[in-house]
Amino acid sequence: MTNTSTYQAYRAWVTEPIPGKPRISVVVPAFNEEWRILPTVGAIATHMCARGEPWELIVADDGSTDTTVELLTDLRFPNMRVLIADRNRGKGSAVRRGVLAAQGDYVLFADADQSTPVEQFDRLLDELTKGYDVAVGSRAASGAAVSGRSLLRRTLSRGLRVVVAVGFGVKVTDTQCGFKLFTADAARTLFELQIVDNFSFDLEVLYLSGKVGLKVAEVPVEWIDAPGSTVDAAKVSLQFLTDLFKIRISDLRGHYTVGGHHSVARAAGRRQAIVAAPTSVNQ
Amino acid sequence: MRIRTETGAGHHSISLAGRFDAHEIDGYRMAFEPLLSEPGTVVRVDLASVVFVDSSALAELLRSQRAARESDGDLVLVNLSDPVRIILELTALEQVFTTETGASAPVGVVADSSGRPVETR
Repeated sequence: MTNTSTYQAYRAWVTEPIPGKPRISVVVPAFNEEWRILPTVGAIATHMCARGEPWELIVADDGSTDTTVELLTDLRFPNMRVLIADRNRGKGSAVRRGVLAAQGDYVLFADADQSTPVEQFDRLLDELTKGYDVAVGSRAASGAAVSGRSLLRRTLSRGLRVVVAVGFGVKVTDTQCGFKLFTADAARTLFELQIVDNFSFDLEVLYLSGKVGLKVAEVPVEWIDAPGSTVDAAKVSLQFLTDLFKIRISDLRGHYTVGGHHSVARAAGRRQAIVAAPTSVNQ
Repeated sequence: MRIRTETGAGHHSISLAGRFDAHEIDGYRMAFEPLLSEPGTVVRVDLASVVFVDSSALAELLRSQRAARESDGDLVLVNLSDPVRIILELTALEQVFTTETGASAPVGVVADSSGRPVETR
């Protein structure tokens, strides 16, 4: 049954600019998502409007060649921005543009396929309100509910997890889940530093979180494999390993200079803490 | 997604609960198609407890509507949840479907979680 107050909040959100600064920014990278993007916008809008806080939506196009951009811009929502790219550069590039354009106190990055339902946002926000700088949705943490993931993808993920932990000291068990929440300071610090344009940007961001001393919480989430994915798991894994090497080389060459960043001083006294939130997800 | 099928004299209804996406289409179709065995059948699909519909599910609902109308019946979407209502608006499908708010039919047959009808009485 329709909850009238949520629908009314949604109608207000799509017709009137929010007064002042948003508390929450949702960033969705999109590349040729004409088939999926409108239901995703609807799901995000429903949940965020139901929360009753000012929020904005940023869709960072990544050079789509289909009607993704037209579908979104035709909506003319006053609190949604569509960042148009002249060409496809990669998911990392799109997320970076979106996050750096965000104005909210908290910045959520969420994949366009709703594989992690937006309702999981609330449990990530809980962690940031406890003092964490970054909350990472995880399919590997205890309590996560994962469905539809192939054996190949699960096996490759486990292997890469070992490589990431041993080779990089990143203790997060699922670096690649497309559902991460940042405080505004953390978002700006990390995405001004990160340089990887493809899907390995997630790992880079978590590596940088440790480097600058941000507190990272890993939160088990519900995750449903989005049908129609064209990702070649084996090919992606090989690329991921290559990117690991590149990130390490970039660091050794001083590309991640953190001295000039305002929030580093704040983070300097902190020791990176990786924890699995003691919450569980029901199927 | 949970699927419950109810049949009564001259009307049928399907209640859906959870996430209606491409993974759930086969189950939905197994529940829906047997209901069209007679011409002029109106099938009500109750969406009060649906939290998300993706494009594949919307396409399947359109397919169901077309199948029902081809046999002089109709598909009626009942009790739209907030996300369903908003997604139908965004996709400009709100005017394409017949919608209503109302109660469902008396229970006659209930489907299991895969959509396969199960006799209850």
